[in-house]
Amino acid sequence: MQTPVFIDDLPDISTVASRKSDHYRQTRNRALAEMLLDDAVSWHERACPACGQSRDLSRNFSQALMPFQRCSACNTIYAARVPDQSHLDGQRLRLLDELPPETADKPKRPREFEYISILNWIRLTEARSGHSLGKVLDYRFSSQAPSWPDAVTRLGTHRDWSFLPLAADGETGFDDLRDRLQAETPDAVLLYGEMDRVADPAALLRVVRANLPRGSLVFIATSCADGLEYEILGADSPSFVPLDRLNIFSVEGFSQMVRELGYTALEVSTPGRLDAVILQHYFTEIENADVPFWSGFFRSANKDRLRDLQILLQRSLRSGVMRFVLET
Amino acid sequence: MGQIRHEAMNRHGGFDVVCACDTHANFDADIPLVTDPTRVYDYDPDVVFCCVPNRMIPDVVCDALERGKHVFSEKPPGRNSDDVRRMQAVEARHPDLVLKFGFNHRFHDAIEDAKRMLDAGTMGDLYFMRGVYGKAGGANYAQNWRNDPSQSGGGILIDQGIHMLDLFLMFADHFSDVQSVVQRKFWTDVPVEDNAFALMKNDAGVVASLHSSATQWQHKFTLELYARGGFISVNGILSASGTYGTEVLNVALNRLDQDGNPIPNPESQEVRYTEDHSWDKEIAEFHAAIAEGQPVRCGTSQQALDVMTLVERIYAADADWPGQIAATATAG
Repeated sequence: MQTPVFIDDLPDISTVASRKSDHYRQTRNRALAEMLLDDAVSWHERACPACGQSRDLSRNFSQALMPFQRCSACNTIYAARVPDQSHLDGQRLRLLDELPPETADKPKRPREFEYISILNWIRLTEARSGHSLGKVLDYRFSSQAPSWPDAVTRLGTHRDWSFLPLAADGETGFDDLRDRLQAETPDAVLLYGEMDRVADPAALLRVVRANLPRGSLVFIATSCADGLEYEILGADSPSFVPLDRLNIFSVEGFSQMVRELGYTALEVSTPGRLDAVILQHYFTEIENADVPFWSGFFRSANKDRLRDLQILLQRSLRSGVMRFVLET
Repeated sequence: MGQIRHEAMNRHGGFDVVCACDTHANFDADIPLVTDPTRVYDYDPDVVFCCVPNRMIPDVVCDALERGKHVFSEKPPGRNSDDVRRMQAVEARHPDLVLKFGFNHRFHDAIEDAKRMLDAGTMGDLYFMRGVYGKAGGANYAQNWRNDPSQSGGGILIDQGIHMLDLFLMFADHFSDVQSVVQRKFWTDVPVEDNAFALMKNDAGVVASLHSSATQWQHKFTLELYARGGFISVNGILSASGTYGTEVLNVALNRLDQDGNPIPNPESQEVRYTEDHSWDKEIAEFHAAIAEGQPVRCGTSQQALDVMTLVERIYAADADWPGQIAATATAG
């Protein structure tokens, strides 16, 4: 198993695109509150979705809106109870409809940097692993990022992409994926930011593995509970939006889960770029909290220091976003 | 080196080491030890590992082949290309035997990954390569057989730089143009170079530059491969001495601006390799060649001839270098 580190110049804090706006967070929190108050939504309690450790043996992570636990065995952060997948998907569709369309005064290609990173990741893994990835299926990222399919068309090379957007159908919520996998038999599947949002991540990965030929690849990007941002700020982390983060896996926990599901992990990395700038922003502009060592560090750190820290985090598998490449 | 090979054979299995030969026989070993090289044949081995100074390699290799033994020999393959040709002639008379030379760097994980990515076409056409391989000459530099040209055939270039040249040839096949500067800067009374700089070009226009140094006080291995679509670099190499650092591969694909021009400093992936599997892979290939008839991919006698010929061309390309050696001889 390889542990690639992703290195580049950190963007200026003004260009940090993934920091959620207050409006975004409030909209998500309102939607979650509506689901909690909706008698038609059924909720079920659960243990750690990664390693299965009982909730009783985990630590409290947050009690705001609904309980989140941090697993004491594998460090995964998870919602202690979740709604069924069909309600989650329905709510996500409604929220996506509320998103303002991309307007002319916004940057023309605001996520281009991220898109190229994904495409390059797949190209390099393909070359390193010796797999031929002629057909790739994107599962639901096209719903979160509407300009993604266009970027793939413009930037993708020698690869057939298909896109399966979010749809509320079926009892498990993954019937459409099963059908598409059986119909298309892609060489690889991209699950970008999806593992955070599903009620039963193991069920999703089971569907993928059961319907792909052996030797296929699954590219997964998800939040990482081992990231410094979560370690220092906990539930205060700007990246923690409960409805979007039902599962925040640790590297260890996710590794254990995929191993038990029969996957082989070919690559693990935590290429998150933003822990350092998010933490600096937190300590300098949002909060005047005095956390030993860190508050002073971030208040005095210049761009070079932040970059050094971020690279150290990436090299240590301690940044806030992780990527896995799995082989079925 | 013999002990390293012995350990690798033990890890691999399928080898039964029956005898070892060294200049002295007073070290601990669980196998018979001899000091006379011809005595090893009393044990009727199937295979001979040749880990001797360069001058002795052709004799040992040819003798082993003539006696019907498969041979694994350390690099450099003798002192010059004529030594290799002599071994090739004997090899040709025994096509059923395996002859392999220990150009070990081809088996390093980072190098294999770099090769795989270039071969896959992901990076596009190769433009140029830069290699720096150097060490601090070391204790007893002047007395070491490696720096006695009658024993070794040359200095740091043939001893260590040859690895980088072998990698260059793996990526660029053959160089039609060779320019060089060969120097002694620190050990001016020793009749071999302590630095060699070479600039080479193949028929496809791929340029390679080498700096092989014995005055690299901070040990260094760097191989950069720049292609149309991005770059690969390998920094550090896992070694028995552990002084060249962790083996780190960086690879980046270019990002293009709206006019199609590459944007500087693209995001790169860094892969760190912490375990040296090269010895095991090298032994495994040798074993498979003997036991299964698999072809030798790395360390063939033709590759040995190519790299020794290139070493000679680098020495010859600096017109001033023979004069420096002659001055040493006169002074001596």
